[in-house]
Amino acid sequence: MSRWFNRDAAISIAFFAALGLAWEYGVRWSGVQSYLLPPPSAILGELWQSRGPILSQSLVTLTEVFWGFIIAVALGVPIAALIYFSRTAKSTVYPLFVALQSVPKIGLAPLIVVWFGYGLASKLIMAFLFAFFPIIIATLGGLASTPAHLEEHFRALRASPMQSFWRLRVPAALPSFLDGCKVAMPLGVIGAVVGEFVGSNDGLGNLILTASGSGHTTLTFAALIAVTLLSLLLFYGVAYWERFIWWRAA
Amino acid sequence: MSAVISMAGAGKAFDGRKVLTNVSAEIGAAEFVSVLGPSGCGKSTLLRLIAGLEPFEDGGILFNGEVVQAPSPDMGFVFQTSNLLPWLNVRDNLLLGVDLDPAAKRPDAAALAELVETLGLTGFEDSHPHQLSGGMRHRVAIGQALARGPQVLLMDEPFGALDALTRDRLNMELLRIWQRDRKTVLLVTHSISEAVLLSDRVLVMSERPGTIIEDVRIDLPRPRDPSTTREDPAFGDYVVRLSKLMGVS
Repeated sequence: MSRWFNRDAAISIAFFAALGLAWEYGVRWSGVQSYLLPPPSAILGELWQSRGPILSQSLVTLTEVFWGFIIAVALGVPIAALIYFSRTAKSTVYPLFVALQSVPKIGLAPLIVVWFGYGLASKLIMAFLFAFFPIIIATLGGLASTPAHLEEHFRALRASPMQSFWRLRVPAALPSFLDGCKVAMPLGVIGAVVGEFVGSNDGLGNLILTASGSGHTTLTFAALIAVTLLSLLLFYGVAYWERFIWWRAA
Repeated sequence: MSAVISMAGAGKAFDGRKVLTNVSAEIGAAEFVSVLGPSGCGKSTLLRLIAGLEPFEDGGILFNGEVVQAPSPDMGFVFQTSNLLPWLNVRDNLLLGVDLDPAAKRPDAAALAELVETLGLTGFEDSHPHQLSGGMRHRVAIGQALARGPQVLLMDEPFGALDALTRDRLNMELLRIWQRDRKTVLLVTHSISEAVLLSDRVLVMSERPGTIIEDVRIDLPRPRDPSTTREDPAFGDYVVRLSKLMGVS
């Protein structure tokens, strides 16, 4: 078991090291200007040198994504439950959200900034808009995937509707809900960065924009890496909770 | 002797197609009765009507003299699939029926331990269903039905999906539990030998639309045991007779 793990890890590390070396020496030997494509060593150096601003801007973006995601869950889950239980909601609220989802949210960003300003609110709302729909769809799918034989079993046990909801449908929906969160979280990061592109004085998106605007390509790359790391960190922060939902395959 | 369950001319149709017609039978206290029939004859539907999970259409079905309208806490159910909640451990699955019913009396620690012991699940109280074998999951399902202390146990092909060996073992345990508690049991099965082995009476059903065509009393001595009872020549006679009734030559 561990021998195989070491072998896979070794191959993986060797592959990425080779990729990095190819980039590094490809850039050096081909004479590509470093403002077009800097070598990885320069990017890593920049990452270290600008760690102060990168960290503080990361924190800004993290805050936006975090609250956007929390609100997406806080609103998405009850709305999904409403759509699931109410036929009226299914024929009114649900198509409304499907239609809203079809509006390109990137196009909404300038409006959101006009409405909510340059501060946290507009970016939080962008993150929310990106994360919201996957959470509704996943929660809805989870609730609908409650096995019919278990619903009947609860009926045979004379469970009340509240008991059936909390003790059967909610746990049955959790695996799908968590999958939705795993999709929604990186989307929330994209939403926040797009919001920062359109109107912001800080955040990683702003850093990317100002760095590339001033020809500071290494900083652009460094900020991109920071966005990627932030997204991965948040994704694995969600995926961590899977270990508490071991029945997902059952 | 007053009947615990009585059916008089009961029938059921789905989308205008008759599934059950004119079903009449009485099941007395502490009787072990099997409903035997070909697949698709409506025997599972009959059990669901008795359980109050599905409304009957013609005639009447009474449980303790009252018309069945909804599931009763005095009936325990064991379905084809073992119906355990994957997120609950064995103990919590056993107590699910009790926990969901505010009026139910929760068995004390000693009673629960005895139930676990009877089911051969000692040491697995904290295990989750995915950690158990198929046979163990079925024993938990039976235990869940028993934990509420029901008067009647309704079983719908509870061991249908299991291999022959596990099935024999569970049948033996079912016999043991029944011989101890003497609950009324109504078992739906398509296995002739299982019906003969376990039952006091076998109700044989026709093809759809299903109705009871024969009520066969099984006079084999008790306690029975899968290995010895099958050696009894009378056992073979019953199997032959029931096979003929079911149209199996």
